[in-house]
Amino acid sequence: MRAYLSSINNPWRVFDELMNDVPFEVFNNEWRARNGQYPRVNVWENEKGLAVEAEVAGVDPDKLDVSVESNVLTLKGEKEQAGGTKSEFQRSFSLPFELDNEHIKATAKNGVLTILIPRKTGVEKRKIAIEKL
Amino acid sequence: MNLMKKQEQDVQKINRVEVTPQTRIDENGEAFTLTVELPGVSEKDIALTLENRTLTITAENTVEVFKDYTLTLTEIPEVRYRTAFELPEHVDTEAIKATNRNGLLVLTLPKREEVKPRRIAITAG
Repeated sequence: MRAYLSSINNPWRVFDELMNDVPFEVFNNEWRARNGQYPRVNVWENEKGLAVEAEVAGVDPDKLDVSVESNVLTLKGEKEQAGGTKSEFQRSFSLPFELDNEHIKATAKNGVLTILIPRKTGVEKRKIAIEKL
Repeated sequence: MNLMKKQEQDVQKINRVEVTPQTRIDENGEAFTLTVELPGVSEKDIALTLENRTLTITAENTVEVFKDYTLTLTEIPEVRYRTAFELPEHVDTEAIKATNRNGLLVLTLPKREEVKPRRIAITAG
């Protein structure tokens, strides 16, 4: 009954239904990307490391900052807009493995930033002995 | 073989989704400036055409494929950017300039001399 009432009384019903149809994450990313707060990325992975491509049109490569701390990759930048105003953006990725912040390779071309980061080596795999009871 | 290859390319072209790029228009006394965001597009993949007074911009981006890597997150699709503008009469179409830097296509559309602001001198009567 309550559900029925809320559906007829809720002026935002149509909007809610629409939002339910759209995966929120996608909608949110798209919205943020449109507002220039959130560069779109493609992430590639293999046993050696990570390759990331990010769309950063209109961002001066000198104003781009790529940093790695343990397993978190952060992209930061400053985008210049009309009339000299600036907007900053930041995006972080948490990865299931540690990255080597000594050997990051980043290049920018045609408004696309390409980053190559190897996995941290020397992270020893430990075999855990299972005790028999 | 060559024919096959060509067909594949054609299919790829058809598969691209057409999107309108983010665009900004600025105006001052001298000219209009059109700034179009075209990330991942190199100069050779941009086509600028002017037909009568319609300026059309089409471009295709290149999404890099990393060999021996697996794609784990995809947000950048292969697209065809398309946008068109009806230029006002007072734009000097002969003098349009285009530059491409950091994924931004910047078009300068100068205004004709007669519409540029000018000072009119007043003579004492």
